[in-house]
Amino acid sequence: MESSSVGAAFDATNTSAKPPSSFAVLCIAVIGKNNNPLLVKSFSTRHQELKFHYCCHTACDIVEERVAPGSKNLDLYLGLLYCIEDLAVYGFMTNTKIKFIVVISMSDAAIKDIEMKNLFRRLHNQYIVLVNNPFYDVEAAPKITSKKFLAAVDSMVLG
Amino acid sequence: MAETAQQRFVCDSAMDFLLMETVSLMQEGFDSIDEERDAAYARMEQLGHRVGMGLAERATRDRPRFADNLEVVKFICKDFWLLLFNKQIDNLKTNHRGVYVLTDSSFKWFSRMSADVAAETPQLALVHSAFPCGLIRGALSSLGVSSSVVAEVAAVPQCTFQIKFR
Repeated sequence: MESSSVGAAFDATNTSAKPPSSFAVLCIAVIGKNNNPLLVKSFSTRHQELKFHYCCHTACDIVEERVAPGSKNLDLYLGLLYCIEDLAVYGFMTNTKIKFIVVISMSDAAIKDIEMKNLFRRLHNQYIVLVNNPFYDVEAAPKITSKKFLAAVDSMVLG
Repeated sequence: MAETAQQRFVCDSAMDFLLMETVSLMQEGFDSIDEERDAAYARMEQLGHRVGMGLAERATRDRPRFADNLEVVKFICKDFWLLLFNKQIDNLKTNHRGVYVLTDSSFKWFSRMSADVAAETPQLALVHSAFPCGLIRGALSSLGVSSSVVAEVAAVPQCTFQIKFR
């Protein structure tokens, strides 16, 4: 249910729950060490999931540029990677070469860095819990099917 | 998450006993002593690898990115060892060509080991060094570094780990 008069596209599948952050997250993706997608979770009714796969694919290249040896920024949080159409893509790469990608719809409201970082921090914590589960094979890096992880991702976006 | 010294002691002791038993368990089911030792070593190393990967993920959480391989090894010597044994590696040597030698002069898990014949202790302790080797190799591999880790025990409780970057 969209209403273009209500600020920027508030594109959530569940309009009754208030998302914990001020921006609307359209997609959360977790990409493994070998640039293999572990999870691409879409929260958008307007865009197809395939579109987010393309977004993540492009994001991988941008992330590699940003962390190339010789760059001065040694932060895990990579900030805004790029914008395409009405989407903004943010990235975060852990020391273990796992990338988290968050796609939001661009709005006029300024996105606070600290809120993005909080979201990534929560994602990272959940991922650490997942890795320490002995039944999850980190080396084979299969698609994430852990209910706990998926539920946590849902609660991060939908509240 | 502050823990008391007592809690730490209990956890460390439990871990120590678990590893001792695991090594004995891994040695079962083989006919010759050599086969036993190799099999136990390989299995313990694999276990250590998996645990090391998980630990490294947790330990590098709030840390900025590593600039080069030397920083990764320094992380192992300091933060990683601190997390595991509440102390740091005592000595680090490198030949700057991808070989690092880490010396722990009183390795926690060897501190209470002794054999009937004092000279045999290092040899028997070698199997017990498989798990920590795996830990180091697992941590390194999750940080993106492919390596091989070998331990040398000259005299308990001292233990030397040699890391070769591939």
